[in-house]
Amino acid sequence: MVDSATGNSRRQYLKTVGAAGAAGMTGLAGCTAFGGSGGSGTLTIGATVPETGSFSSLGQDVRRGYELGVARMNDQLDQEVEIVIQDDESSADQVRQSLQQITSNNDVDMIWGSFSSLLVTAGSAFAENQGIPFLGAFFAFEGPHRNEGYEWTYSPFPKSRDVARSTQGLLELIPEDERPSRVGIWEPNSGWGAEQADAWESTLSDAGYDVVLRETFSLGSEDFSTLISQSQSQEVEILLSNPTPPGGITSINQMQANDYTPEVLKYVRAADPTAWWSALGQKGAYACMCPGWVPGMTGNGNTDLQSAYESEYGLDQGQLIPTAVGGAYNVAQVALQATQAAESTDPGAYQSALRETEFGTVIGDFTFESNGLPTEGELTAPTGQWWDGGQHTVYPDVDGDAAMDFEYPMTPWGER
Amino acid sequence: MPPTELVLQILVNGLLLGGIYAVAALGLSLVFGIMDIVNLAHGHMLMLGAYVAILLFAAAGITPLIGMFVAMALLFVLGMAIQVLVLDRVVDEGIEQPIIVLFGLALVLQSLGRIVLGSDARSAEVGISGQSLEIGPVLFSFPRTVTFVVSVALILATWAFLRYTTTGRAIRATAQNRDAARYMGIDTDRIYVITLGIGTALAGAAGALLSMLFPITPFVGWSYLLKAFAVVVLGGVGSIAGTLVGGLVLGVSENLGTLYLGGGFRDIISFTIFLLVLVVRPQGLFGTGGGDGE
Repeated sequence: MVDSATGNSRRQYLKTVGAAGAAGMTGLAGCTAFGGSGGSGTLTIGATVPETGSFSSLGQDVRRGYELGVARMNDQLDQEVEIVIQDDESSADQVRQSLQQITSNNDVDMIWGSFSSLLVTAGSAFAENQGIPFLGAFFAFEGPHRNEGYEWTYSPFPKSRDVARSTQGLLELIPEDERPSRVGIWEPNSGWGAEQADAWESTLSDAGYDVVLRETFSLGSEDFSTLISQSQSQEVEILLSNPTPPGGITSINQMQANDYTPEVLKYVRAADPTAWWSALGQKGAYACMCPGWVPGMTGNGNTDLQSAYESEYGLDQGQLIPTAVGGAYNVAQVALQATQAAESTDPGAYQSALRETEFGTVIGDFTFESNGLPTEGELTAPTGQWWDGGQHTVYPDVDGDAAMDFEYPMTPWGER
Repeated sequence: MPPTELVLQILVNGLLLGGIYAVAALGLSLVFGIMDIVNLAHGHMLMLGAYVAILLFAAAGITPLIGMFVAMALLFVLGMAIQVLVLDRVVDEGIEQPIIVLFGLALVLQSLGRIVLGSDARSAEVGISGQSLEIGPVLFSFPRTVTFVVSVALILATWAFLRYTTTGRAIRATAQNRDAARYMGIDTDRIYVITLGIGTALAGAAGALLSMLFPITPFVGWSYLLKAFAVVVLGGVGSIAGTLVGGLVLGVSENLGTLYLGGGFRDIISFTIFLLVLVVRPQGLFGTGGGDGE
């Protein structure tokens, strides 16, 4: 998937583009073509997921995505693939401890995980120190890639710049004469919070939007009343933020109590988990999110993911796969294609494969820069929107069964 | 310069939030003032009260305003049991032992909460959750206003209890001089049991009220303990009026500070006030140093 808005071209020289890319495009649907990784013995993956703590509402979905992906890897590779997963309790310290324990007890070839920039960077620091290839999704923060000298960390996931561009694309779906222009950004006081706010402010300002409010709040804060009052006072029409899931849910309740409904609401991460709908119901409708993968996307194994999930966990009529499943499954697809390209489980071979392969996964087609960032312009960050209990792709405009037209403007909370 | 309407709105939001802080701190202040014990498990007891209200609401649709009384009753018994079974054994062994015991209790409650209830954030969203009252240019969030009114009522009821009942007078006498109270025939051991029971019950009430406003997880105990501690230091240990004023000052300072300095300064503002009071007026705004419960 290429973002035509940027016009950036892909890496020119790709040693193994054909093999790995084709595997992704065909949905990994056949093991004969790329069956052998060349390695022998077991490929062991260590991972942590947040099954408890502030990100726990997504932990199970991430685990399911990994496990479905590992099952697919076992189908596709000649060697056995096993994954050792521990709960990291949504704590960076626990990520490090868990990874220490996993790698002490197992001969780990690769590390995955966890969720959110806070936890992924903790895992990445461990992997960099140990010289183990690391794949981290749900990690939009670009700063560490640029500043930490990453050698082993690769992030198959849209980054802050992609989220900002996707937001612009979403807004451009609204007819120009109806399009709102007053943007408010609630910025969590974290590195990624500042980076994402910068990306939104510069991208949308350049596109002619009026950023009328940019205010910080403490991550973990439960009182959004001041921000809400400030947004009302500034007549913010497009509200953008990236709070934690509990914070996002609380803020919606407080917006309702303060009789404030923006016309467009995009909450990156907060609106990702299914807990959003179970906590808010119809109050959660219309909220947009940018979780890396959204039901409605097509190609690159999406059909296989759909059928594997349905067969393993079941889906009721109209029910959609949680977004975090797709983001995690995409990690496994990258690992599979890298393993095939590396033809060895040697860390150096993985490193070369990660740097030189074009990957085709459920989130799109992309290559990595040497610092582990997806090459600029290659990944479109799909924007999803909550509607009738499901997260549907609304941007880009795709033909997937679960995709739908962007619903705008939001119906005021009090009228739902 | 922010418009006047915005400042007024944020002032009102701060006052309403301050009332909630005050009731969250009330039980801590009472126990601290009367028993000279910093109840490090206070925030976790508040968390338990919140869960009682949330579970009652989820299971039977009972509003936390009613569930609050169930939470108070259960936590009153829990508080008395803790005093009888644990604290009575260490209360005469200096200030460290009870603190260590209560710290351990806090960890146990947090871990139990995580195992039994899971760590997903929950709240009790009642019918009033999305409603508000508009007076002039200012909007009064209904759940916050109701919580504020109930909080002030609880504070007044606690004050009246200590002021006008025999048990309340015995509690105040024990706070002033435990040995003298004992010589006057007051069963001070029983008074301690009742005091911790009341302090714990008030934590339960605060938790039930908070469950209508904020998400609750087994991990919220420490943050509420810190806020409550700041309120107690600000208002004065053991002072009921001081607790209310301390809560209001903290709520307003946080909200106005957020408006003028930015949300990243919210906790810095709380704890700067806390430190300033400790340095300039360690007994707090209303404290006499004696902790007489008034």
